[in-house]
Amino acid sequence: MDSTTAPHRIPPEMPQYGEENHIFELMQNMLEQLLIHQPEDPIPFMIQHLHKDNDNVPRIVILGPPASGKTTIAMWLCKHLNSSLLTLENLVLNEFSFTATKARRLYLQRKTIPSVLLVQLIQERLAEEDCIKRGWILDGIPETREQALRIQTLGITPRHVIVLSAPDTVLIERNLGKRIDPQTGEIYHTTFDWPPESEIQNHLMVPEDISELETAQKLLEYHRNIIRVIPSYPKILKVISADQPCVDVFYQALTYVQSNHRTNAPFTPRVLLLGPVGSGKSLQAALLAQKYRLVNVCCGQLLKEAVADRTTFGELVRPFFEKEMAVPDSLLMKVLSQRLNQQDCIQKGWVLHGVPRDLDQAHLLNSLGYNPNRVFFLNVPFDSIMERLTLRRIDPVTGERYHLMYKPPATMEIQARLLQNPKDAEEQVKLKVDLFYRNSADLEQLYGSAITVNGDQDPYTVFEYIESGIINPLPKKIP
Amino acid sequence: METSNRELQAAEYLERHRIKELVSYLTSALLFFRPEKPREYLISLLERLRIAKVTGVAFPFFMDNSNIVAMFEMMDSSGRGTISFVQYKEALKTLGLCTEDGDLKDDGHIITLDKFKEEVNKRMKEIWSAF
Repeated sequence: MDSTTAPHRIPPEMPQYGEENHIFELMQNMLEQLLIHQPEDPIPFMIQHLHKDNDNVPRIVILGPPASGKTTIAMWLCKHLNSSLLTLENLVLNEFSFTATKARRLYLQRKTIPSVLLVQLIQERLAEEDCIKRGWILDGIPETREQALRIQTLGITPRHVIVLSAPDTVLIERNLGKRIDPQTGEIYHTTFDWPPESEIQNHLMVPEDISELETAQKLLEYHRNIIRVIPSYPKILKVISADQPCVDVFYQALTYVQSNHRTNAPFTPRVLLLGPVGSGKSLQAALLAQKYRLVNVCCGQLLKEAVADRTTFGELVRPFFEKEMAVPDSLLMKVLSQRLNQQDCIQKGWVLHGVPRDLDQAHLLNSLGYNPNRVFFLNVPFDSIMERLTLRRIDPVTGERYHLMYKPPATMEIQARLLQNPKDAEEQVKLKVDLFYRNSADLEQLYGSAITVNGDQDPYTVFEYIESGIINPLPKKIP
Repeated sequence: METSNRELQAAEYLERHRIKELVSYLTSALLFFRPEKPREYLISLLERLRIAKVTGVAFPFFMDNSNIVAMFEMMDSSGRGTISFVQYKEALKTLGLCTEDGDLKDDGHIITLDKFKEEVNKRMKEIWSAF
């Protein structure tokens, strides 16, 4: 995470706008296209590129050994994402292209098509309207490093590359059960993927060259080539095990393809941690503040500091503290705004916890302009909360804090004199947890893109989950 | 690491068409005006540029005259009407109009508002003519 290096005072609306509209990625894509094509006249080229508006369409390559299920996965992904599928067959059987006719002749004679011709075919096909508008999925191409490099020199870069992998023995056996439907071209399997309708069952064909020997030969060649193709796509590659049910492979592939990669966009985290009392919010906030140098803003702490420092707001807050009543929202917001408007919060980002407690406070926060860009809900079951809080003790002599289960005192003598904070009594805790859960449904609805984290684990695991939620771009919702 | 031929080619392309300044201008405009629909706004900006280039109409500068005057006044804190050479160079660097190598010569004369304005406009024109 990068805070902006410029020392200028940038008004916070600018980075917020930039994040919401993904300005950095927009500019980066445009610049990439400019550098790849290097047109003589950049401005009309840029206008055209912006009109196309295809930064986010799927550009996927699926590779894998024979019988791994590439074509099945590719077809399912196509239907789901509504993109165009490109395989060797449909490139070659394209009737409208002159290059395709040449290739078809070779293909029908079962000779390998030279890479130059193949890549030319791909280039033609990808320049067509539907590939530009809706994205494309390449099935089984590039097979060799030469093809991969040629495609790259043309400026065609996939955004996601999926490599299916499975042990050879599994594949050889699986290939024996392969059957093809001659009409739709869909691939079925005698054991794993048998079509339910009996008409399809009747006219399924056995494809050629699926005997064990031939599959083994094809596998040898595949292994020889794939090892050199994989380094061509360093950061966008994912290996998925094909040795599991098709549906599982499909869902893994789908989630991967719909996730965005980490970008270099400058990002000031404004994190909101929500959860019932005892879920670990303060601890996580402290860890985040320490590691990423964010400003840790704890609402309760802020108020106590204001009262202790006897500031103007502190004087207003004190009567509420003395009577043990909740501080009214308006006053709370004033104290918060004062803190969040300071230069270090704006520049470094903040971690907020303890507020908002309910929907009204959340709306007030929004109206003041403090929109968090990552919201986390820490879920902890009630019993764990009780365990964490009711066993807290403090030693009145040394001031050391203990927990009867997680950090017990060393000697019996210390244990004898430990005291419990009245706020940690069972009934009090129960009240506070109920209060939170009453409001949590509303808050969850308001913060639609919030990430739920299981808080019932050790603090460092929870921290890692939160970290990955902050660093990775927010996941796109499946339409 | 030796830069390959294509990398050098790409760098030279960027220089020739002043792509960095253009992208910087576009991003600044976007962040400053914060339009609802960034793409459409970008397209309209680029169209205006294209037309301006073809017809020779005045380019839509990001910093117009009043901004230049305001910047000068910010630097000239004592209100003498002049700024020092160091301030002048820093200002040009901030505007992105002068590279680190500093092809300016300190000719011993003080920099007045007019000279500042003239220099900024001259450099801007130079950049825009490359688009």
